[in-house]
Amino acid sequence: MKTTLHNATFAALVILVAASCGIDNYEKPASRFSGRVTHNGQPIGVSGIDRQNFLQFWQDGYELRTEINCHLTQDGSYSAMLFDGDYKLVMNNNRGPWVNRPDTVAVAVNGNTVKNYEVTPYYMLSNIAYTVSGKTLSATVTIAEITAGRPVETLALMINKTAFVDNQSSGHLGDAGWTRQSDVAPGTRSLSLDLSGQTAKTLYARVGIKISGIDQWQFDPQVYEIKN
Amino acid sequence: MKSIKIITALAAALALVACADFLDRESQSILSDEEIFSDQNMVNSVLANYYGRVNWGQHLEARGEYQALDEGTRSSGGRETWSDYSNEHWRVYDYTLIRHINQFLQSVRSDAAASLAPAYRKQIEGEARFLRAWTYFNMCRCMGGMPIVGDEVFAYTGGMDITALRYARSTEAALYDYIIDECGAIAAMLPDERTQNAARANKWAALALKARAAVYAASNARYGQTTPEVKTAGGEVGIPAAKAPEYYRTALETCREIIDGGRYLLYDENPDRGANFYEALAKKGNSEVIWARDYIYPGNAHGFSNGMISTTMRGDIDANDITPTLNLVEAFERVNSRDGTLHTWDDAANDYVYYDRPEDLFADKDPRLYGTVVYPGSDFNGVPITYQAGQKYRDAGEWRERARSAREGDTKDEDDDLITSENGPDRGDDQYVNNSGFNLRKFVDYNRDASTRGRGSDMWFVRMRYAEVLMIAAEAALELGRQQSEVCGYINQIRARAGISALSSTTLDDIVRERQVEFAYENHRWWDLRRLRRAHIVWNGNEGPASLAAQNSNDYASAHYALFPYRIKDPAHPQNGKWVFDKLRSTWTCERPHRFQLRNYYNFINQDWINNNPKYVKNPYQ
Repeated sequence: MKTTLHNATFAALVILVAASCGIDNYEKPASRFSGRVTHNGQPIGVSGIDRQNFLQFWQDGYELRTEINCHLTQDGSYSAMLFDGDYKLVMNNNRGPWVNRPDTVAVAVNGNTVKNYEVTPYYMLSNIAYTVSGKTLSATVTIAEITAGRPVETLALMINKTAFVDNQSSGHLGDAGWTRQSDVAPGTRSLSLDLSGQTAKTLYARVGIKISGIDQWQFDPQVYEIKN
Repeated sequence: MKSIKIITALAAALALVACADFLDRESQSILSDEEIFSDQNMVNSVLANYYGRVNWGQHLEARGEYQALDEGTRSSGGRETWSDYSNEHWRVYDYTLIRHINQFLQSVRSDAAASLAPAYRKQIEGEARFLRAWTYFNMCRCMGGMPIVGDEVFAYTGGMDITALRYARSTEAALYDYIIDECGAIAAMLPDERTQNAARANKWAALALKARAAVYAASNARYGQTTPEVKTAGGEVGIPAAKAPEYYRTALETCREIIDGGRYLLYDENPDRGANFYEALAKKGNSEVIWARDYIYPGNAHGFSNGMISTTMRGDIDANDITPTLNLVEAFERVNSRDGTLHTWDDAANDYVYYDRPEDLFADKDPRLYGTVVYPGSDFNGVPITYQAGQKYRDAGEWRERARSAREGDTKDEDDDLITSENGPDRGDDQYVNNSGFNLRKFVDYNRDASTRGRGSDMWFVRMRYAEVLMIAAEAALELGRQQSEVCGYINQIRARAGISALSSTTLDDIVRERQVEFAYENHRWWDLRRLRRAHIVWNGNEGPASLAAQNSNDYASAHYALFPYRIKDPAHPQNGKWVFDKLRSTWTCERPHRFQLRNYYNFINQDWINNNPKYVKNPYQ
């Protein structure tokens, strides 16, 4: 008797659970929108943690509006799963390490869509080379000015124990996590960082610049791996 | 069967009869305007409700907020791991309260309040308007210009066109002007006398708010120019620099009015300077405090002492929730020297500085340090508080340490000497254990029962006091280019009361530093560094060294530092039994340095508000 009751209850539960599915759920978005932030086709590296840099998708035609934030990872790329439709794309206002671009880009998403987001930076970092000799990491970088008016406040070479390397995450290694130069003029610069205090088997390094009056740093889009 | 019929009939009869006046009863819980505004006690309880709703930012009922800046750090329990300030940090947006106040104003001006005494009627109108101005001020310093709705009470009926109810944001300057004008009008309506425990606003509170709003507007106008990106095209954020002098003049004139009014004085009744400063903030009803959030036991108490108290003094299990940082302690000057650095390391000898007693490290520090912080070797209500992280000894030419978890209480070695004090500090993540080497004294109740969970403390929270009026006067006089003698005349009153040397010339840096130590834990620093556009420089997110030798931790205000006292336990060492100190980057309380970005100068406007009112424009960086 008891077993029958249990079975009946169980069967009822299964029916309830199975029946409630499928009715009130939407199909998940299936179209991948992806791309990179570029300047003349060259990628620009940014901070990839803490949702610092993002694009926003907006869609008209609804009474209430909520943005869809699409975060940039550290090589400047982004991707989002969206429903097909017409979107308006804006960059987060005044935040990234480039000249603010307040215009709106209309994007039609129909299946997987690839679209780069072109910006005008203040500086481009090129000819970046890393070398490790003994316990010293050295890097050279050429800083080319693209837009005048904002000096480079800080140039830094930083390391981290994970592949996420930026001015924030390098703080986990304390002051030994980076080396800095202040008020740097454009041109080719070199930096070196002492690794002797580091115990991790693998370290990752990047160079980056802090531009005056802009919160977000600009980085080498590539991370350099060091076998310690 | 018959009886059932009778019962049914009776029930039906009862139900029919009862209906008649049951539905016509007067409500027991909704009171009419006539009922409220004919009785002073009723009016006071409505006002008390509004007074209780204006606590924002740091205050005694939100002690966790004190870890957000560089004054306090999270000791008890796990470390704090965030780095960036959120876009909504301490944001205030309360048009519900403004509507309620406007309803109150409508009623108090109507015939319903005709039976109130005219003077009282004028006073409560002034108080309500003061609270409204204070609310606008708090919104303005968070977000810039917001809609000014005046005295209007909006009415909505279903289906009506709501576009007329949508007000655009005012400019930042216009909202400050509105607050300043309102405060001027309110001051004429409010009583001149000090109110009981400064809990209700009087004329001088209105003037103090006016002075504060004026100096905020002035500094936003002047120093906003250093961050030209932080503004909107329509002026909702950003005040033209040309307006700065007029605002500074308003601030200075208003401060002069309060000073010349003579109703308030710096508290100066205890010859012990440190204790005097504690009393200035803790002794209710004193001559310095202009407006406070008062509490009373029983009935209206808070858990601030319960959370902030040291282990030795606790009345319950709780303690050391948020404890002061070394950053704050080093910001206090010395009696005769502006350098507040604690000398723990002798660079020339490349060795520790050895102290006979822990309190010797703090000799000659600004007595306000004692009034604000419980530091190693000081007392709390006469009870000495020992902080000892462990013992140090030499081994193979290096310093080693012997330490225990402070969770275990006072731990002793085989000679019955203390290893680690119950007050810590230690590096653990245990609850209720001190991790920074200090405890807060300011606003912490000497009454031990006040630190229990059940009773709570009725310590007041000081919102405005005479010292702030002097500091605003000094800042405004400096910015207006007045004689240094005038500027120093204001700031030196505060320094003299504190018990430190006078300044012969004053810079803005001096004013910022004076405010940092004088008003620590009083909900000023965040707003000061914002309006002066220094926050992104001071809290730049940069990591500091893991330990400091002779440097000042205030140079690394993004990162929290702790002071770890050790006793030498090494019979072979010439300094056996003496005290040494390590200044450490306390990653065990605050793992990552705090970073204030340019977008944090003004809180973001919520998208939901824009959906409701499309006239709202967004703030910079949004």
